[in-house]
Amino acid sequence: MSDTTDSPTMAQDELADKPLRARIKENPRPALLWFSGVVILILLELGRVLGAIGTIGSAIRFGLSGLATIPNWFGGNVSDALEGTDETLAVLGGALVADTAAIVMLFALASVLAWFVLPWRLIDRIGFESTRRIESIVERILLTLVLVVGAALYAFTPVGTFINAEIAFAANLLDSLSSTIPSLTSRELIPNEGHRSPDGGWEGTFLGLSPAWAWAIRTTVVFVYALICLVWAWKGYNVYRDHYREADWTPRDDTIRRFRGHYWGIFGLVVVFMFVVMAVWAPAISPVPIEHNVFSPYSHEFDYLGDDGEIETITHGAANLQSQSNGQNTVSPMTYDEYDRFAPLGTTPNGQDLLTNLAHGAQTSLIIGLTAIGLGALIAVILSLITAYYKGVADILTVLASDTIIAIPAFLLVMLLSVIFSQGNHPVAEPLDGGLLLALILAFAYWPGMWRAIRGPSLQVAEQEWVDAAKSYGQKPSAIMRKHMAPYIAGYIMIYASLLLGTVIIVVAALSFLGLGITSPTPEWGRIINDGRSYVSTSSWHVSTISGLMIVFVVTAFNALGDGIRDAMDPEADVGDDAATTGGGA
Amino acid sequence: MSQTVTPDSDPVQENDDVMVEIRDLKTYYQGTGLFDRNPVKAVDGVSFDIHRGETLGLVGESGCGKTTLGRTLLQLETATAGEIRFNGTDVTTLSGDDLYEWRRNAQMVFQDPDSSLNDRMTIGEIIREPLDVHEWKTPRERKQHVRELLDAVGLQREHYFRYPHQFSGGQRQRIGIARTLALEPEFIVLDEPVSALDVSVQAEIINLLEDLQEEFDLTYLFIAHDLSVVRHICDRVAVMYLGHIMEIGPTEELFTDPANPYTHALLSAIPEPNPTSDKERIVLHGTPPNPRYPPSGCPFSTRCPARIRPDGFETLDDEIWTGIRILRELLRERRRAERSIRERIRGRLGYETRFGNMDETYQELFGELDVPAEVEDILQSVIEHASRHDEQCAIDELNDAFGSVCDGFVDSVEDETHKPELYTVSESGRKSYCHRHDETYREPDTVFEDRSNS
Repeated sequence: MSDTTDSPTMAQDELADKPLRARIKENPRPALLWFSGVVILILLELGRVLGAIGTIGSAIRFGLSGLATIPNWFGGNVSDALEGTDETLAVLGGALVADTAAIVMLFALASVLAWFVLPWRLIDRIGFESTRRIESIVERILLTLVLVVGAALYAFTPVGTFINAEIAFAANLLDSLSSTIPSLTSRELIPNEGHRSPDGGWEGTFLGLSPAWAWAIRTTVVFVYALICLVWAWKGYNVYRDHYREADWTPRDDTIRRFRGHYWGIFGLVVVFMFVVMAVWAPAISPVPIEHNVFSPYSHEFDYLGDDGEIETITHGAANLQSQSNGQNTVSPMTYDEYDRFAPLGTTPNGQDLLTNLAHGAQTSLIIGLTAIGLGALIAVILSLITAYYKGVADILTVLASDTIIAIPAFLLVMLLSVIFSQGNHPVAEPLDGGLLLALILAFAYWPGMWRAIRGPSLQVAEQEWVDAAKSYGQKPSAIMRKHMAPYIAGYIMIYASLLLGTVIIVVAALSFLGLGITSPTPEWGRIINDGRSYVSTSSWHVSTISGLMIVFVVTAFNALGDGIRDAMDPEADVGDDAATTGGGA
Repeated sequence: MSQTVTPDSDPVQENDDVMVEIRDLKTYYQGTGLFDRNPVKAVDGVSFDIHRGETLGLVGESGCGKTTLGRTLLQLETATAGEIRFNGTDVTTLSGDDLYEWRRNAQMVFQDPDSSLNDRMTIGEIIREPLDVHEWKTPRERKQHVRELLDAVGLQREHYFRYPHQFSGGQRQRIGIARTLALEPEFIVLDEPVSALDVSVQAEIINLLEDLQEEFDLTYLFIAHDLSVVRHICDRVAVMYLGHIMEIGPTEELFTDPANPYTHALLSAIPEPNPTSDKERIVLHGTPPNPRYPPSGCPFSTRCPARIRPDGFETLDDEIWTGIRILRELLRERRRAERSIRERIRGRLGYETRFGNMDETYQELFGELDVPAEVEDILQSVIEHASRHDEQCAIDELNDAFGSVCDGFVDSVEDETHKPELYTVSESGRKSYCHRHDETYREPDTVFEDRSNS
């Protein structure tokens, strides 16, 4: 086992042995070049990036505070139940149950940390040694203890208040920074809201251009910027592949090559990309800020040139009443309303700007879709791994559970649950006006379908000899599932997830169309279609038509993308002539 | 032909250099149905030793349980009964950490090199995984060790970062062997390691395995159905049939002078390169019985060409015996099959059922033969019972007349548990599982000579 070989092969091996950081150090130029590009891209949009970080942070805080109420909820239920018998018993019992629930939750968190997150083990630090099973249990108990101590410090000592204050301070700082630091695509830099001046030009808009042009420029900048980001990410992958990857060929190379020749899939990718850009940059693409135009229209004013040649002021709410597209009165796409506000896609029946609604509606759909599919796919993958590996009772129970859920029509199930939770004013129904609730319900309703879809492949991979080989040298079941089974299922779940994402968007739109999904004022495509439904045959046809076409395009695109991924994953579909499966020899 | 025949109470003699002792090992697969009480008896009571440093070949037809036996030895299947003592410890009782620790001593090379390597991992990761699992030394030393293993199995060190896709079948099998060697095991089960490879590559892999055995002091259990490969590489051979070891002994001796009728039949199936050779092939009739319903008595009794015949029928024509054998299998089959109501009605109305017409069966089996009157009477009576769907009665009558010790009859009384014993048949300790080695019967060899001459 000596390292003193001096053959050239050996030197090359030594080079290849290094972790990524060391490999970059060897040859820093391409990486530095790429990273400086990333830095420039981030700096251009720094304000928006900081804002996004703040939003994600507050979402995490909301989730954590929701989880933190669970132990007390258990405890409260128990003490309520014991209320009638004995006062002290009720208090004690409630506290005991709440603490137990908290510890169980922390133990689960510790297990997840120990298995998937932490690269080192506590017991190695303290030098504890025993058999494998005991080591694993002790490790998790120790981690739980650490977490319990942390949680207790946070909950019962001034440390908690201090931390809260710190977090609030950081959040405020982020907020103020994101609003002061300029971004390339901010409406401060390229403003499109202005008014005609009495002498014929425009005031308050970008370079004195008309609002239409100012909006067009800002939207173009958004898409160009997003495209550059995408191209740069692709370039980053190429830099890694050409300069830093140790293997000169991986199976993924073939997948990408196949996808590049799949035009239907690329069409899907392009439309999905535009949809995502629209959702992420919704505030920049909207001609009017949604806060002003939709959420609180009567507390925001703007100037316009009155009929008598004087500059007058009006609230958005009042102006909206005169800009409705309801058959009698229409503000068509690409026109100005009476108050010289530019409406690229016209207005809604209640006078709001349609594009503002659609862009933020895309955001809603994307958040719900990603949450629902992400959660559902996670459940489906974990269950499929467990059932395929252990079979037997685990399998039967999962089949029963999934069959029970599938037996209820999905749409009916979603409607039932959403009515129960939203009528009960459950706190989960608050975020996004029921959007989060809908996402959770959809995840619950759609995991059985995904589990069914990947059940075959997971049973197949569980029968592979490499799984037996791993068992024969004593690999842990969790590691076998993660290393030897999950990568094969990942491809399949991606296909079904992208197909189902389209379905989720349709279901959410359909529910909102029926008035059950996301309530006003959070914008949602289905509700817009419903609002404009009765004007399709009038001059205000654009409301339902444009939103309907958007849904058709986006859902088709997700299906196309799913098709593309499936064909790219499947080596059987390979028609390429430059297959890289050669080069077995040295 | 002088064979010292001694019935052996302790089937395996003590040996100081024994590495694996297998005693009365049984592996049954329970059916998946709720009311399924008949398990598949893949390995049904097997006892033998594997000596340190030797290569023991395990041969037999497909489905005879040899792979299951190999997998049970490595605890990839749970043994139903019996013991596997590995250096003195019974590994069937190990679990948890003891099993994990033991696993590094015994490894397996798999049959299909396409399926035994995870093709999303690089070669380096694949070979390293056993070392990672057992936390062997430092990560740096592990990588170094992997490179040495690549050398040892005749691959290049640069292959570390390649993927299995980029290799041929023979190279992939080398990678599998390198992974097997990573933990420096003492004992390796080779499960048909070359049967999925081209003939030209087979020789390379076989030679590699022999070299590695010498270099690392390995003990092999070589599972195969290619007898010429077995003859080349193995020190001793065990012949398996329907979950039983039929014969086990030194390779050369077993190949040149087989004792068990099944070994005779198996060896006669090896093609003779000499076209003028007048070697008589022993053709086995039918297929091996369903391991869910093995025959009582000797497992090979349903197909054995040297089956012991009851007194009085010793001179009966071979073809008639074949007919009787097929008839009995048919009846056993019919006894197991359940008749649906529809079939009962069809039969009553005189239509064809899947059970067929017994008279036609008789015609097919015995129609062209010159059956002695005495035998014909019995057969007709049997057929009559069977036509009335009284299969049990038919089988009883057939067994009364033609059953022998091979079918589990001792003095014409059926004894389901009566099995042959493992007789030691030569100086070298070779053993064979056949009633014919008992002093009261003639040896299989002489029977074969007789029957082929008649």
